[in-house]
Amino acid sequence: MIEVRELAKHYRVHRREPGLRAALRSFVRREHVTVRAVDRVSFTIAEGEVVGFLGPNGAGKTTTLKCLTGLLHPTTGAVRVLGHTPHRREPEFLRRISLVMGQRNSLFWDLPAADAFEVNRAIYGIAPGPYKSALEELVDLLDLEPLLHKQVRVLSLGERMRCELAGALLHRPEVLFLDEPTLGLDVNGQAAVRSFLRDYNTRHGATVLLTSHYMGDVTVLARRVLVIDHGTLRFDGDLAALVETHSPHRLVRVTLREAVPEQTWAGLGEVSSIDGAVVTLAVPRAETAAIAARLLTTLPVEDVAIEDPPVEEIIRGVFAHA
Amino acid sequence: MRDVLPAYPSLVRSATLVAATYRGRIVLSLLTAFFPLLTMAVWLTVVAEGGPPDGWTTGDFLSYYAAATLLWNLTGDRVVWQWDADMRSGDLSVRLLRPVHPFHQYATSDLGQRLVFLVVLVPALILGAWLVPGLNYPADPLRLAAVAAALVLAYAVSLLMASTFALIGFWSTQTTNGWLLWWGLGSFASGWVAPLALMPDWLRTAGMVLPFRTTMGFPVELLMGRLDAHQTAYGFAVGLGWLAAFALLYRVAWRFGVRRYQAVAG
Repeated sequence: MIEVRELAKHYRVHRREPGLRAALRSFVRREHVTVRAVDRVSFTIAEGEVVGFLGPNGAGKTTTLKCLTGLLHPTTGAVRVLGHTPHRREPEFLRRISLVMGQRNSLFWDLPAADAFEVNRAIYGIAPGPYKSALEELVDLLDLEPLLHKQVRVLSLGERMRCELAGALLHRPEVLFLDEPTLGLDVNGQAAVRSFLRDYNTRHGATVLLTSHYMGDVTVLARRVLVIDHGTLRFDGDLAALVETHSPHRLVRVTLREAVPEQTWAGLGEVSSIDGAVVTLAVPRAETAAIAARLLTTLPVEDVAIEDPPVEEIIRGVFAHA
Repeated sequence: MRDVLPAYPSLVRSATLVAATYRGRIVLSLLTAFFPLLTMAVWLTVVAEGGPPDGWTTGDFLSYYAAATLLWNLTGDRVVWQWDADMRSGDLSVRLLRPVHPFHQYATSDLGQRLVFLVVLVPALILGAWLVPGLNYPADPLRLAAVAAALVLAYAVSLLMASTFALIGFWSTQTTNGWLLWWGLGSFASGWVAPLALMPDWLRTAGMVLPFRTTMGFPVELLMGRLDAHQTAYGFAVGLGWLAAFALLYRVAWRFGVRRYQAVAG
């Protein structure tokens, strides 16, 4: 479905020091530097998979997505999506994919949403029957009925993103690329978009590659993650495996019936936080069960909860080690 | 092209709807639509004070610039600004992801806007031709058919020339400034500053082979009945030649330019 082999994308950018002197010097003699936005990245994604693409700002996520959708020509390497070479941008290829960019508007800004969808129908050459059923389904799933006759430009961010998703899915793409689809949305908006994307993937079996800074998007939608940093791939595998590999500790949250001296915790684990009667310990993963048992037998425990550290923390750890 | 044509009516319609959305913009644009009449006023003053040049009457200047007003509004050069803005902002990415080539997206957007202006402008010109004494366009059906074809050719050449020029944006950020220079020089050879017949010999000779006359002087002179069959055929041949040349240039520039697109700003 998606095959990426040794993908590299390098940019040549103009660089200049600040100040008038540097500006004048630059006027005569330009200095350029090569930025390796993506460097020899390889992975494959199978049909129907939902994959989270993680990385800090400038890591190369969006550049990779742009290479996969054909917006950018790779410097070296090979990319195949649905059997096509994306940068050739054949219409048959573009009719089978969609890219939703959270920070960019793709619908006709000045038209009511219903008219903007009609433009997409014409652009993608969707027959009236499939268009009607796709539109009805999307209006229903995304609760668009009250928005159809409003100009796109007057919609709130959350409303606009729901319309953007509908516009991007009218032609029923087989591969959906999502670049920060919940960017700037409030908690309810994020939940609505996540729930819709999960439903859409279940109903239509679409392959989804998702970048997001909100870990909630990734943990809810994707089982597999790709972690990229400084243009190179740091991790490719199950989210659970990422947690296991990069987090040697688990968190044991103990709620006590009465306070205990601080030295009690020595030898049990590293105290992560103390909040009144609730103490959180970071304990070695392999010893979690044994330590929990010791706590229960030796201390006045009311409740014990064991959990993994937040994924954000683990990802931060991955980048820090890189 | 065969794949794209079915999308044209919907795309032109939506561009018309967009153009009709803002009343203030329509009013302002309609005011600029009559700019050629200012040039006409200058010429009428010159003719009134110094007498008309050989072969031209006051009525000819009236007829020339009234028709030039139509051509002024039937040009596709606005796409240069649209391309430039989209390349700078990265909005070209959205257009590149659609299965319709960006050229057609910009062309239909421009056509839709032209339609809104022409709906107002054409009746105004017809009314003017009927009411203003001195306007004279021979109503020969064959000539009128040729004029219609020349108008289509004028729009096609101006659109393709502007679109080709816009692709310079893949290499430089100075496309619009470059276009203003190109258009400014071209306005002497197009018949916009003055009818080509009144220009110095060397400029008239250059104007006869450059693309600019096709976009203004040729259809206007044809409508006024100033061209014989041979001159008409020559005008069409030059226009079609430039149409083919710009189509080829566009293809080559696109092929190499789009590789350089860096889809900035997301």
